Amino acid sequence: MNLEILLIAAFGGSFLTYFLGKFSHKVRDGFAVFISSALVVLVTFFYDKQVSINYYSGFFDLPFILRINTLSWFFAITIAGLGALSIAFSLSYMKERKGTNFYYLIMLLVNASMLGIVLSGDLVSFYIFWEIMSWTAFLLISYNRGPAIAAGMKYIVMSLAGSIFMLIGIFSLYANYGTFIIPEIGAGIASASSGFILFILIMFIIAFGIKNAVWPFHTWLPPAHSEAPSPFSAVLSGILIKMGSYGFLLIFYVIVGMNLFLGLGLGRFSFNYILCWVGAITIVIPTFTAMLQNDAKKLLAWHSIGQMGYIIIGISLGTSLGLAGGIFHFFNHALFKALLFLTVAAVEYRTRGVRDLNSLGGLVKKMPVTFIGVLVGALAIIGVPLTSGFVSKWLIYKTLILDGYSFLAFAAFIGTWGTLLSFYKLVHNMFLGQLPEKYKDVKKAPLSMQVPILILSGVILLFGILPGIPLKVINEIGTSFGFESLNVNIGGIASETGTLNTINILAVIAVAAILIWLFLRAGAKSRRVTQEDSYGAGLSVPTDKYHYTVEFYDPFSRMIKPYLRDVIDDFYNWIAKGAQKTFDHIRHLYTGDVGHYAIYIILFLAFLILASFGWFLL
Amino acid sequence: MIIKIVEIIAIPVLAFLVGIFFLGLSRRIMARIHWRYGPPITQPIIDIIRFSYQESVSHGVIFDLGIIFSLAASIAVVLFIPLGGMCALSSSGGLLVILYLMLLIPLGVALSSGEGANPNISIGISRKLILSLGYEVPLILILLTLMTRYGTISIADIVSQQGSGWTIFSVPLFMSGIAYFLILPAILEIRPFDMASAPQEISSGHKVEYGGKYLAIITIEHAFTLFIGLALFVDLFLGGASNPLFFFIKMLVVFILCIFINAVFPRFRIDQAIRYLWKWPTALALAGLIATSVMW
Repeated sequence: MNLEILLIAAFGGSFLTYFLGKFSHKVRDGFAVFISSALVVLVTFFYDKQVSINYYSGFFDLPFILRINTLSWFFAITIAGLGALSIAFSLSYMKERKGTNFYYLIMLLVNASMLGIVLSGDLVSFYIFWEIMSWTAFLLISYNRGPAIAAGMKYIVMSLAGSIFMLIGIFSLYANYGTFIIPEIGAGIASASSGFILFILIMFIIAFGIKNAVWPFHTWLPPAHSEAPSPFSAVLSGILIKMGSYGFLLIFYVIVGMNLFLGLGLGRFSFNYILCWVGAITIVIPTFTAMLQNDAKKLLAWHSIGQMGYIIIGISLGTSLGLAGGIFHFFNHALFKALLFLTVAAVEYRTRGVRDLNSLGGLVKKMPVTFIGVLVGALAIIGVPLTSGFVSKWLIYKTLILDGYSFLAFAAFIGTWGTLLSFYKLVHNMFLGQLPEKYKDVKKAPLSMQVPILILSGVILLFGILPGIPLKVINEIGTSFGFESLNVNIGGIASETGTLNTINILAVIAVAAILIWLFLRAGAKSRRVTQEDSYGAGLSVPTDKYHYTVEFYDPFSRMIKPYLRDVIDDFYNWIAKGAQKTFDHIRHLYTGDVGHYAIYIILFLAFLILASFGWFLL
Repeated sequence: MIIKIVEIIAIPVLAFLVGIFFLGLSRRIMARIHWRYGPPITQPIIDIIRFSYQESVSHGVIFDLGIIFSLAASIAVVLFIPLGGMCALSSSGGLLVILYLMLLIPLGVALSSGEGANPNISIGISRKLILSLGYEVPLILILLTLMTRYGTISIADIVSQQGSGWTIFSVPLFMSGIAYFLILPAILEIRPFDMASAPQEISSGHKVEYGGKYLAIITIEHAFTLFIGLALFVDLFLGGASNPLFFFIKMLVVFILCIFINAVFPRFRIDQAIRYLWKWPTALALAGLIATSVMW
C-alpha cells in the first residue's frame, strides 16, 4: 500500500462529501463519518514503516516527496483520530445550521491538509499544504459571521505574516543548499555558520510560533477559538495549532539537528534556554488570564496558549525526558482540549448557545455523560495522577528539576495551580451549584455527541494508567533524533533518580476509595434532597434570586487583573490601526482624475531623468 | 514483601490516630489558653463514631464520590511520605507525586461540596482554592529549593541526606525552613487562615451541607491534612527520624507551636491572606532558591 492513498482518500473524500451533500444530507453525513474513520484505519496500517517516495521532480526542479516515519505517523494518527471524532460530533451539532455541505467540505479539507503537512518530505509541498491549512481554517473560523469575521481576519493576517517568514526561511535554505528535500538540507546544514543557523531558526520559529500561539504571537487565538463552530474549535485547539509544534520538531531536530541546535548560544544562555523562557512566559500569563474569563470557550482558548508553553519547554529543553514529555504533552493536549471543547459544545447545543459561565449551573443532573467528559478533561489538563496529563507533566518537571532549571519548574508548577483554579470554576459554574429555573428541561446530549466524549475520556484514562503504550512510540521518535533511549515499561518510566509507577498510585487510590465507600455504606443511610433543601441558617436559600457563581474568584481577580493587560495585543492593534491610516492616506493619490494621473506620470519620468543624470554625474 | 504490606496497612492507621490525637489536643490546648476546661482529648473520636450513626443528606453522586476521592488521596499521600524509617511507597515518583496528590485533596472536596448548591459553599470553595494557590507559590519554591539542593526528586533521599545535619540549620536553606513555618498555618487551615471554613460568617463554608457520616469523613480528612502538613515539615527540614516515635514527637512540637499561633490570631480576609503569603514567605523562599541555585 502506498502513501498517496492517504492523501487521495483525504482530499478526494472531502470533495465527494460535498457533492453527496447536494443529493442527500443523510448520505453525506454517513460518508463523512466513514471517510474520516477510514483515514484512521489507513494511518494505523503505516505503523512502524519508513517510506519515502519521490512522485514528481520535473517542474523547475521542485520535487513532490511524501514520506512517513515514526514522527509523522504519531502526528498523523492524532490528526486522523481527532478528525473522525469531531466529524461524528458535528452530525447533531450542525444539524439545524445552514451551509453544512460547505462546512463538511472545509472540515475534511483541513484534516487532509494537515495530513499532507506531516507526510510531506520536502519543504515546497510542506509549504503548500501549510497554506491550504491556513485558509481552510480561516473559512471555518469565520463560519459563524458577525464577530467571527473579525476573529478570522486577525487569524489570517497573522498567519500570512508567519507564512512570509517561513518562505524567507525556505528560500534561504534553497539558496544555500540548492534543494528542498528535508534530509538533504539536514545533511548540508551541518557545515553552516552559527549565524546562518540562528537566522534560519528565528525565521521558522516566528512562522511556527504564530501558528502555535506562542507568546508574544498568541493574540489571534482567543477570539478565533471562541468564535469558531465548536467541533472545529476542538480540531483547531487540539491539533491544528500543534502543527506549529510539529514544525518546531522538524526544524530543531530533523533539519538543524540536535547537536547544532543545542550548541547554539553562549554558555548557560544558550538558544534553547531562551526558548524555554519564552515557553515559561507562555504558560504563566495566559493561564492566569484564562482564570478571569467568563466565556467557557474563551477560557479554554487561553488555556490552549498556556499548555503550548509546556510543549515548548519540553521540546526545546533538549533532554530525552524533556522531549518525551513535550511530545507526550502535545498528544495529551490534543486529547483533553478536544474533549473539553466538545463538552462545552454539547452544553452550548442543549442550552441553545449559552456558554456564559455566569448564567449556567447545576447541569450535572441533566447531562451526566457530558459531566464525566468535562471532569476527565479538567483532571487531565490539571495533570492529576491517573490521567495521561500527569505523566507528561511529570516528565517535564522531572527533567527541569534534575537539570537545575528551578525557575522554569516554578513557572510550570504555578501554571498548574492556575489551571486548577480556572478549571474548577469551569466545572463548578457549568455543572455544579444551583440549576437555574430556565434550564429545568435541558435534555442530555445526543448519542453522536456522547460517543466522542466517552471515547476521548476513555483514552485519557487508559494512557494515564498505562502510559507505556504511547511512550514507546514517543521514545522511538526521540531515538530517531539521536537522543538517549528511555527505560519505558507499560506502567511508567524507570530511572535511577526517581521512578514513576502509575499502577502503584492507581492501586492505592482505588483500594482506599473502596474502603471509604464501604464505610459510607455501613453508616446510617443518607437521604437524597433537592437543591432547594439546603442549610440557610433558619432561612430558605433563595432560588434564582441571585447567581452566586458570578465572579467566582472575585477578591483574587481584582488583585491580579491590573497585571494581566494584554499589551502585546494592544501593540498589534496599534500597528494595524497605524497601517490602516497610512494606507488611507496613500489611497487619496487615486483621485480618479486623468489629469492627476498624467501629472504623476510626468513627475515620475522627471524623477527618472533626474536620477539618471545624477547617476551620470556621480 | 510482607513487611511492605504491613507498613501499607499500618501507616494510614497510625496517621489517622496521630492526626485525631492532634485534633483533640488542639482543642484542649486552645481551651486552656482561653481559660476554659475544654473537651476530653478523645472527643474527635467520639464525634466520628456519633456522626456515623446520625442521619445525613446527600445531594447526588458527585457529592458522595468527590469526598471519597479526597480522603483516598489523603491516604495515598500519607503512604508516599517516609515516617521515621517507614516508607511504604516513597520510591514511586517522589515529591512530584506528593505535590500532585495533595492537589486532589482540595479538588475532591470542592467537587463534592460544589454539588451541594448552597451559596455558603461557593464562597467557601472559592476562598479555599484561592488560599491553596496562595500558599502553593511559596511551597513550590521551597520544594524546588530542596530538590535542587539535594539533586533528587525522591523525598526518601532528601531525608537520608540530612543524616549529617537538619536542613533548617544549614546555611541557605534555613530561609526556606522559616518560609515553610510561616505558611504552615495556611496549609493546616488553622487561624489566621481559616477563612475557607469561617464558621461565624459563612457557616463553615464548604462543610455546610455535610452531616452525619459525611461530617465524619471530613473530620478524618482534616486529621490527615494536619498529619501531612506536619510530616512534610519534619521530613524536609527536621531530618525525619530514625523511628516513628521520635518522628511523632517532632511533629508534636511543631504542632504545638502552630496551636499557639492559632489561639491568639484573628482571621485574615482572603485578600489579606494572599498579600501576606505572597510577600514575606515568598520572598524568603525565593531568596533561598536563588542562593541554592547559585551555590549548587
